[in-house]
Amino acid sequence: MKKIIAALAISLMGMSGAAQAEYPERPVLLMIPYGAGGATDFQARIATIPAGNEDMLGMPVAIINKPGAGGRVGWNWFANEADNDGYTMGGYNVPHFIAQSIKGGVDYSTDSFEPIANWGSDPAVFVVGKDSAFNSMADVVAFAKANPGKLTFSGAGLFVGHHIAALQIEKAAGVKMLYIPNKSGGAGAMKAVVSGEVLGGVNNLSDAFRAQAAGTIKILGVADLERNAFLPDVPTMMEQGLDVDDTSVNFRGVMVPKGTPQAVIDKLAATVPAMFAHKRVAQKMKAGGSPMKIMNRDEVLAMWAKRQVTLEALLKGL
Amino acid sequence: MKILQHKISSGFVALVALLVCYISFTRQPVEAYLFPRLISFFFLGLALWTFVKALLGRSKAGNGLSMDMFKNMAPGVAISAIYIFWAAKGLGFYTATTIAFFLLVTSYDPASHSEPKTWVKRAIITAGFVAIMYALFAKILVVYTPRGLFI
Amino acid sequence: MDFIFYFGEVFTLTSMLLLIGGTIGGLIMGATPGLSPTMTVALLIPFTFNMTPVHGLILLGAAYTSTVAGGAVSAILLKIPGAPANIATTLDGHTMAKKGEGAKALQLSFISSLIGGLFGVFLLIFLTPELAKLANEFKTPHVFWLAIIGVTVIGSLEAGSVVKGLLSGCIGMWLATIGFDDIQGVKRFVFHPALGGGVNIIPALIGLFAIPQVITMFSKGRFQTDMEQIQVKKHPIAAAFREVFSRKRALAIGTGIGSIIGLIPGVGGQIAGLLAYDQAKKFSPEKAKFGTGHSEGVIAAESANNAMVGPSLVPLLILSIPGSPTAAVLLGGLVIHGIFPGPNLFIEYPEVIWPFINSMLIGQILMCIFGIYIASLAARVAQVPQSVMAAVVLGLALFGSYAVQQSMGDVYVMAVLGTMMYFLERFGFSAAPLVLGLILGPIAESNFVSGSLMASAQDGTFAFFFTGGLNILLVSIVVLSIGLSLWSEITAKETER
Repeated sequence: MKKIIAALAISLMGMSGAAQAEYPERPVLLMIPYGAGGATDFQARIATIPAGNEDMLGMPVAIINKPGAGGRVGWNWFANEADNDGYTMGGYNVPHFIAQSIKGGVDYSTDSFEPIANWGSDPAVFVVGKDSAFNSMADVVAFAKANPGKLTFSGAGLFVGHHIAALQIEKAAGVKMLYIPNKSGGAGAMKAVVSGEVLGGVNNLSDAFRAQAAGTIKILGVADLERNAFLPDVPTMMEQGLDVDDTSVNFRGVMVPKGTPQAVIDKLAATVPAMFAHKRVAQKMKAGGSPMKIMNRDEVLAMWAKRQVTLEALLKGL
Repeated sequence: MKILQHKISSGFVALVALLVCYISFTRQPVEAYLFPRLISFFFLGLALWTFVKALLGRSKAGNGLSMDMFKNMAPGVAISAIYIFWAAKGLGFYTATTIAFFLLVTSYDPASHSEPKTWVKRAIITAGFVAIMYALFAKILVVYTPRGLFI
Repeated sequence: MDFIFYFGEVFTLTSMLLLIGGTIGGLIMGATPGLSPTMTVALLIPFTFNMTPVHGLILLGAAYTSTVAGGAVSAILLKIPGAPANIATTLDGHTMAKKGEGAKALQLSFISSLIGGLFGVFLLIFLTPELAKLANEFKTPHVFWLAIIGVTVIGSLEAGSVVKGLLSGCIGMWLATIGFDDIQGVKRFVFHPALGGGVNIIPALIGLFAIPQVITMFSKGRFQTDMEQIQVKKHPIAAAFREVFSRKRALAIGTGIGSIIGLIPGVGGQIAGLLAYDQAKKFSPEKAKFGTGHSEGVIAAESANNAMVGPSLVPLLILSIPGSPTAAVLLGGLVIHGIFPGPNLFIEYPEVIWPFINSMLIGQILMCIFGIYIASLAARVAQVPQSVMAAVVLGLALFGSYAVQQSMGDVYVMAVLGTMMYFLERFGFSAAPLVLGLILGPIAESNFVSGSLMASAQDGTFAFFFTGGLNILLVSIVVLSIGLSLWSEITAKETER
């Protein structure tokens, strides 16, 4: 009997010993800190389609959603509890997680994570209902000047890209408006604009592009340095005289927790950008109205560091 | 006996309500605790109403507990607690489920423990259940469960 | 009448195989605690990448309708609702099963699901533009009041004491505030790291319903366990159809409430069943029979939660706004094929959208057929010895609550809440109002907070929440409902249970 147990134990140990062989040897998890069906979740599912191909990871990527509090629940879990063996990746949204870490009350900062690659950049846009009297940012600013604190506009939450854009617009125009964070994220914020509950809103370009195609809203301005290929007719904030840069642009990509073996990080950093560049990903992203921007690990590291500085300056005194 | 149990249970709920109320009205920032204040107000009110009713001996809903029930549930609850709070993570989901399932089926099976046939039957049921769980969660849904020492 | 021309697309071999596969798979997933409709649809999305848009949507549509109905199976046989939508089904469905009428309860539930579901899809086919306008009327204060109406329903879910029912609801609403506050991002009531992610609805649902069942089975001891062996009575299907159609009132209330609730973005189908159950009880001449295994209870609850499926797609298809988490996932399924919902959807993509809707019609019928077959297996489930049943339910509870977010914290929350619920249940508290509070608390809170912010730019909070026809209507329902509950508490003595 003892022999059998010993043999069993050895064979089991042999099985776990084989785990070090070739990474990855089982499916890799990707934690998305937003609900299933949201823009981030939807893009992550597309971006990881080719993961199972032999020349990519060779293993599928399974997505788990840990939504709550603008991403805080998921990123807290990722910083505190996720295994750092390379089998748990997480999705990041910049500027969200950096702004939240500057505001405080969370267990993560840019030092808690190791970026792998970036797949998308989704600028914030200013939207109004289709019957709104506002036709440009100048109209919005004029109304806000005449009625301080009366211009209600919705966004996905506090200390997320939409909120950052809102703060920048208010600062650039020198007006006080009333930002209404929505618990149900971008979709809920868009609903408030469509049903006329708020006078305007900040939302994702990808969602606004679809809503505009559906004819329920008008898009007045893009909070980015250049006009977007999806909306060539919509001017940027800068063109309309508002000094708003690309700080609020929502960069989406994948990362791993600090302490993941360097070999694994290198392997991921080499294969993941190629995976995002796969033609099926590009085709599906384009069909969904989701702007792509592929960046490798070094570019993302530089982008994180830059955002950390600009956000600290912007959020000081809030 | 039942009246005393009612006093204890509603007293416990009232204590929780008091704690929730205290935290809601003392913590900052106020914006985040606005709604907890609103509900804890009703929570405390209803909990005190129930507690006073129990003190007056007028609580009747519910069947209470008996000593026999405690004795009967003790082994099952003990096995379940070790299974969920330690073994599932410490030994791995499938190993822990195999052991806990077998122990539970054995301890609550009215059939005799001295007959080998019943033991075989229990083992087969256990293996069947674990196999279904493995097929559904590990294979079809690709859920990665904690491995612990084994799987 | 355009939709009739697109049935050909549904009756091809591939489409039918997908429909049948999606329906059977959906029923199984729905019946497994922890695997909600949202999760099932999200898991299927990657499979649709490789299909044509029509085939992908047929699969998603079939899976969505059948998971909602499948949740009734475990609700009736095990008293564990497969998803929040099926909570109301446990109230009379499981009591019927305990009396040996499990097969009948399942037949009733699938037949009323079919009728409610067909009605809902027909609404979607014929009235979509009108319904979209109606959906837009429901704004922040109205959704807040709807959540409050949901809370007042609690009074009628409790056979024992109204005050303890309301108290259970308060406990649920408090539990919902644990974890990060969604808007401010502040941690509230986090006494232990496992609570960091808050109390999630699906693990809580499993714990609150499954664990008390398990402990109750334990508490009967080794030798008494099989004393309660139930003889399952056979029930002819024709009789089940006759029963459903003779309960016209419950069927109409369920279907009507389900259709309206489904339409309102943000409330979702989670409370449709409970609201319908409450109304069916209030309007029934046999009020006292509710909760004791009365067929009206099952019919109202199940017709409501399938009637909500069709209308819940209206805001999605016309306004491009997903009204429920499941609709949000379906939106992803549409967009991935480059199909953008909007007012012109039916004009631009009729060849995709009509087969999708038609497949939901056919899917309902298939679901009913397979469901009735499952009902015939009810007798086998009842023959499982309680020792095995307790172990099976415990194992399912562990796997189901872990699988939702792959989190051990959820498992611990499930186990602790469940154990506390067992003891509370022994003293007249009950799980259904507690879960209702857990679902409605966040809806009420977020709409209250956003509402008071918006109100500050208008005429103030009071005017915002109390003026306008719809507000006044909803507030009077709240007042009426609370008044009735308190009146019955004061006049009637607490009943012995």
